[in-house]
Amino acid sequence: MTPYRIIYWQIGHTAHWIFYTLSGISVAFFLAGMAAYILVWKKDAASVELSFSWDALKRVILDAFFGLRVFRGDIAAGAMHFLLFWGFLILFIGTVSMAAHEYVVSYLTGTIYLVYSLAMNVAGLILLAGILWALIRRYIQRVPRLERRLEDALVPFWLALVVITGYVVEGLQLAYLQPPWYRWSFAGWWIGSLFSAAEGKDLYPYLWWAHGILSLSFVAAIPLTKLFHILGAPAGIYSQNYGKPVEIIEGAGEFDLGDLIFFDACMRCGRCVEACPSAGAAEPFAPRDFVQAMRRDLWQKYSTLGDIRFLGRSEVSEVDEKFWYCTTCRACLEVCPLYGGAFEAAIKKRVLAVEEGKDVPKLISQTLARLSKYDNPWESSRNKRGAWAEGRDLVDLTTTDTRTDICYFVGCTTSLEPTAQGEAQAFSKILQSARVNFGILGKKEPCCGDVARRMGELGLFAEQRENSLNIFDEYGVSDLVTFSPHCFNAFKNEYPEAPYRVRHYTMVLRELIAREKLRFKEGDVATVTYHDPCYLGRYNRIFDEPREIIRSIPGLQLVEMSHHGADSLCCGGGGGRMWQDLEGVGKMSEVRIREAEATGAQIVVTACPLCRIMLEDARKAAGLNKKLRIIDLNELVLQALKERD
Amino acid sequence: MKELEIIVCAKQIPDPEAPLSDVRVDAEKMEVIVDAPQVISPFDENALEAALRIKEEMSAKITVLSMGKRVSDTVMRKNLAAGADKLILLQDEAFENLDSHSIAAVLAEAIKKIGEYDLILTGRQAGDWDFGQVGLILAELLVLPCVSLAREIKVKDGNVLVKKNILGGYEEVKAKMPALVTVSNEVGELRYISKTKMLAMLRGAASIPTWKSGDFVSAGAKLQKMNIVELSSPPDMRRDCEILEGSTPAEKAEKLAAIFRSLR
Amino acid sequence: MNEVLILGDVKEGALDIRTLELLGVGRKLAGDLNGELSVVLLGEQVSEAAKEAVSYGAARVYKVEHPLLAGFRADVWVASLEQACSKIKPKVFLMGHSITGMELGPRLACRLGTRLTTDCTNLSIDPQDGLLLRTKPVCGGNAVSVFKCQGEPQLATVRGKVFEPVAAVDGKGEIVDVAPAIDESMIKVESLGVVREEAVALDKAEVVVAGGAGLEEKEGFDMLQNLSKALSKTFGNVMIGATRVAVDKGWITSDHQVGLTGTMISPDIFVSVGISGAIQHIVGMIRSKKIITINTDRGCTMFKVSDYGIAEDYKKVVPALIQKLEELL
Repeated sequence: MTPYRIIYWQIGHTAHWIFYTLSGISVAFFLAGMAAYILVWKKDAASVELSFSWDALKRVILDAFFGLRVFRGDIAAGAMHFLLFWGFLILFIGTVSMAAHEYVVSYLTGTIYLVYSLAMNVAGLILLAGILWALIRRYIQRVPRLERRLEDALVPFWLALVVITGYVVEGLQLAYLQPPWYRWSFAGWWIGSLFSAAEGKDLYPYLWWAHGILSLSFVAAIPLTKLFHILGAPAGIYSQNYGKPVEIIEGAGEFDLGDLIFFDACMRCGRCVEACPSAGAAEPFAPRDFVQAMRRDLWQKYSTLGDIRFLGRSEVSEVDEKFWYCTTCRACLEVCPLYGGAFEAAIKKRVLAVEEGKDVPKLISQTLARLSKYDNPWESSRNKRGAWAEGRDLVDLTTTDTRTDICYFVGCTTSLEPTAQGEAQAFSKILQSARVNFGILGKKEPCCGDVARRMGELGLFAEQRENSLNIFDEYGVSDLVTFSPHCFNAFKNEYPEAPYRVRHYTMVLRELIAREKLRFKEGDVATVTYHDPCYLGRYNRIFDEPREIIRSIPGLQLVEMSHHGADSLCCGGGGGRMWQDLEGVGKMSEVRIREAEATGAQIVVTACPLCRIMLEDARKAAGLNKKLRIIDLNELVLQALKERD
Repeated sequence: MKELEIIVCAKQIPDPEAPLSDVRVDAEKMEVIVDAPQVISPFDENALEAALRIKEEMSAKITVLSMGKRVSDTVMRKNLAAGADKLILLQDEAFENLDSHSIAAVLAEAIKKIGEYDLILTGRQAGDWDFGQVGLILAELLVLPCVSLAREIKVKDGNVLVKKNILGGYEEVKAKMPALVTVSNEVGELRYISKTKMLAMLRGAASIPTWKSGDFVSAGAKLQKMNIVELSSPPDMRRDCEILEGSTPAEKAEKLAAIFRSLR
Repeated sequence: MNEVLILGDVKEGALDIRTLELLGVGRKLAGDLNGELSVVLLGEQVSEAAKEAVSYGAARVYKVEHPLLAGFRADVWVASLEQACSKIKPKVFLMGHSITGMELGPRLACRLGTRLTTDCTNLSIDPQDGLLLRTKPVCGGNAVSVFKCQGEPQLATVRGKVFEPVAAVDGKGEIVDVAPAIDESMIKVESLGVVREEAVALDKAEVVVAGGAGLEEKEGFDMLQNLSKALSKTFGNVMIGATRVAVDKGWITSDHQVGLTGTMISPDIFVSVGISGAIQHIVGMIRSKKIITINTDRGCTMFKVSDYGIAEDYKKVVPALIQKLEELL
């Protein structure tokens, strides 16, 4: 006898039609839900266009099917998700195949059926294993980043029920029919063995309907719950990766389609909260809360029926000014399985706030006013910008006609902040020692625009950008070396079509060392640790150069903090925070300095002037003055330089 | 309901945030030269913020007046970008370095020419000369009820309700309009005006009415200049620190205690 | 006759210390003018204060008493003073640069047809024309200007805590009643009530003891609290201040913060403990009369702007200091 399965066993004709109707309703709900999402997106998005990108598609395939991002940093999570994904996918394909067999062409018979049945049985077990693992992680292990809301319990239990009723339905039929191929449906058979043939026949319709209704309602509920990520996540991964334009000033405060899909597809997995230094310092900001609040706001604003995730409607969280806390360190983007950057959404909220004008914190307002009037956020004066270079006999490109190979772009902090000026001088001394032909822009050095950009003042940023380009043009600057990673990032990534090359000083130092233009003397033995600046490391993937430099200095032993490289913990100075007065703002830097202390190093090396200031303050506040020294990489190198003959 | 007419007097001054190093005192010419951009005097910005908040509550029209020898169109347009409806510049050589009474007299004439008004708002003092008189003298000249040092202003039923600073707290007062109120910083900072708003206002076609002295100041008016007898730089911030020495901390502490005693 | 008139400030029946400072500078000016020093007092009942003014050397005290003058209401106070000045015709009229003075001065100047200079830090008589030379800081303190104006009386408001308060003398002045012609209809601004606020009025303190990161722990502020108690036995209003780092650390609340983003203060004595002297902090207290610093770092900026300093660990100095203060004061 050819292996087969009776699909509508004991399900009469009328029942068929009831079933079709229910299916229709379910699908209708599902489509209506999806339409609701698209309507909300259309109403809010600045643009609803998505172009085709092979790279983005590749990313989707890799991330969706192999769940690579979910494995990152949490193998258990990755494995669990892998089971859920493949279990569900196979069962889904199986169900579709069954429908095709029933209504299109009857092919699920014979060997094909046996393989089919086996696959389905195995898939169901895989899915159940995944669900069980998920529930253990969330409710027994209580993994900190996972939330425990009604939805989080309801969805897995519901899905588990669907799978289990599926097995029971199969088992009941097998119990009655007792076909010879039962071993291919081993799980169903095992369940079936718990019932007599008579029970099998009697109970079957009930279980069939139960399974049917549970499954159909599951499908209908996809848009209503976090299950939306089944479709939302691939869409999100695609839209985040297809290569957005460098920047558009007009409408840059508006959320684009990628942002909206990201908000809706967010599974609240909490990796961003785990990575976020703000959340880690117990500040009132967490990327997940922010994204969810954004999502809720959008639905309340644009959907006539309110938030489609009705289970979460009672949640309230004020986003308020909390988005001013974000340091824009990008740690969230580094870990988000959807490549979602909550910090970008935070900046967009800032753009809106700045444009509207009323909810801008006072210190931000004052800093922006200072930037606008004096081209720097530190002082209400332009006149001291070149003061650090006094008496140093450096070529000022703005006062002489000389043109030099490179232009050393010092940046506001190192020019103006008294404790940072030594660093500015250090790099100039190193360049002189290596006989590099360089010049500076002195008093006329413009602002790169980073602070304005992060604070959301795009008009000011555009003005500063134009001004900088004019200065570079006027003084023939074609090869820039910046001190600050913030300036580096701005010149490199936010100045489209820039006619110059730009490097961060670590790149230059590394090259000079490689070319043996800098030689080191035998030095004292010391253990050092290196703090990766967010804007050098995560933003621009420069992790190795500074480490190579440190390793070239004799006597130094480099140890790493527990969060280093791409996982480096922000010092708290970015995103405009250096100029804000947020409550408890010192905690973030303290967390980092404690991490440094834990390495046993005597010296913490930084490569960003803001990091140095923040960590210095933290060192003082934590009472670690005697145990740790904070030093900029330039000063470290300078101290170790052998005098040239 | 008739629209509430508010007049805000705003002075243009060199940025008061400029550090000492950018301020040069020319003792001979008796001029203070500040190497800083021109801005709206901070307390006057507070006055504008107070006006804007009233405008959010009810139908109101805000006219900003600014007076000086040379008043910058670019700087003053910020008032419009913030939400003021009209800007009038009072610009004349004759308005240079006038004393407080004369400034108030000129403003009074301008306001008389404007005609209708319900509320006049000024900052409590200007960020350059810090006299703090013009608003109050203006109220006297126009014979208006006057409230100074406001930290909150509301308008209701033809009255202005003000919370004003007093020693150790604040007082709530009521005056019938038309009235004049001088504003303190507790009212709140002027909302942030984005660069894009400023640029839009600068590119805006409307030209700003500029009145010369002859346009509105009565022929017989005697305008007096400030009479500066002497102008100098402030003394240096650094002090000669006397370090109290001692062989033990207790000894040093004893010397310090003696100093406290002498300072009683 | 050259009369130098002072507007006295009566607080709870007695003369406020600012009035004593005005009397001090008034007396000097009266001497320069070969004239007399007199005081005008407004209120419902000011006899006690008038007698006190006499004891401080006023040649004449004018009592302007009226029920409507019970509290400060500018409309009737200005009217009363206008009338008083018309009767008295002083050569010079001085007020404190207080909230009342700031309001009365300009309005009175307008009504009397004279010119006022506010917030004066120095006053003298020009020997050539007998006019008042008024010195005041301008441009946010970036310059100091001396003005001279026409008009009688020569009118000025005087900055508090600049001049020395006058000492009591064996005064034999006379007390004169000046009845004001005022009534309710003059009051154009109606008072609806006064609200007292409990803020830490750091800028009202005479002595501020401030702590910074160098305290190394929250308990450091307890020690400073003890020091301020010891000092308050002699120095009146002693308060605790802090730098931003200390506030950020949660050692103390932000209303104690001194500096650019805290409160700007100018107490008689500023004691800085464990503060290195970031510019944002220094700007907030640099106008203190005397600055005393205790810090282990001899090279820190605070010492450069201090009058006295001890380069030592505060934990070793402060307890000893408290003990010595208790003995000496």
